[in-house]
Amino acid sequence: MTAGTAATGAVSPLLTRLAEERATGALLRDRGTLFLEDGRIVHAESPATPGLEILLTAGGGLTRERWREAVDRAGARREVARFLVDSGGLAGGELEICHLAAIFDAAFFALSPGSGPSRFRRGATHWIGSVRPVPAEAVERETVRRRELLDAVWPYPLLDTAPVVPREAAPGQTVTLRQRALLRAADGVRTPAALAWALGRPAFHTLLDVRRLAAAGLVETPREPAPAPAPAALPAWMTQAQPPDVALLRRLRDALEASL
Amino acid sequence: MPGIDECLLEAMALPGARGAALVDWSSGLALGTVGESPVGDHETTAAETAELARAAAEYETFAATSDPAARPAPGAAGGGPGGAAGAAAAGVGGPPVEDLIVTTRTGYHVLRFVATSFDSSVFLHLWLDRAEGNLALARMRLRDLAEGLVLR
Repeated sequence: MTAGTAATGAVSPLLTRLAEERATGALLRDRGTLFLEDGRIVHAESPATPGLEILLTAGGGLTRERWREAVDRAGARREVARFLVDSGGLAGGELEICHLAAIFDAAFFALSPGSGPSRFRRGATHWIGSVRPVPAEAVERETVRRRELLDAVWPYPLLDTAPVVPREAAPGQTVTLRQRALLRAADGVRTPAALAWALGRPAFHTLLDVRRLAAAGLVETPREPAPAPAPAALPAWMTQAQPPDVALLRRLRDALEASL
Repeated sequence: MPGIDECLLEAMALPGARGAALVDWSSGLALGTVGESPVGDHETTAAETAELARAAAEYETFAATSDPAARPAPGAAGGGPGGAAGAAAAGVGGPPVEDLIVTTRTGYHVLRFVATSFDSSVFLHLWLDRAEGNLALARMRLRDLAEGLVLR
């Protein structure tokens, strides 16, 4: 954990600099994109997380038709969020709560160590519009806290990507409501990310719940893959370049020329 | 359109209010904070109150079902095929626990769960001075504020 704390300022040096410059645009990385306005984060999305649309519509609280209507009618002027609230589809507080959940969720993956190099597209904005900007520094700090939290709960990162396999509860063991919903959706094939989509929950929340379940023995903890056997050395006769058989090549050439 | 900040500022208008926050109890993230924190750091307070809220929100003892037959059998953790409807109901049926009150020597803490139209896990936390705070008033006001956050 100390390593993580020490790295707080180094989640993304580019993001830190853009925040200082009060830049506006899109910070693109392999695992997600952060949208900045005056150096603050106004939106984030990642292919690893269910976006705002899924989070809002999965439970049926907002219909997909209403979401689509908002995108169609207000997308071009980049005020989808405001349209959703003004048209009565969603309460203002609800929108902020869900949008913040989506920002921190996507940022966690976008800023993950394996997310590759960063590019910045200056001036780019997102059609969702302005909801509740978050300081970049708060997002970086929370991202580090989340990494540490996962490992504090149950330090088995393989759980994050492996299919979730439920186990029988011990007699008398408490399984909470949300855990039950997750376990019911875990069919032995779905990964935590797939479960997040199915349940309409943020991907990080699902990772965290799966780690908690594994720590409680309610989900199988995948074994570390056996270390790959050291590649067996190939015999010398396969690897050592042999001098070409010049006499054979000559005879072949002569034969080919003779048959022309 | 009352947002998170307006809601927290209104909570701080209560007599004896020292600090308020909107917290996600699943992850321990503070979505918004105002005033002071009892430990001088809102993020620590959010993580700690989240653990308390998670326990209360999740355990069956505090689930609002009055009909014992409607309760799932204890230990029914496995992925039985018949439980899909229950999953949906648990997601959007509103939190069974309304609020949590912790009394300390010097203060009151009121945690009020917020019911949203989508699957979420958030609550309002208000910290009150024991001498100046009015617990009954604060509880009612927090209820109204939690409802105001999701009022269309």
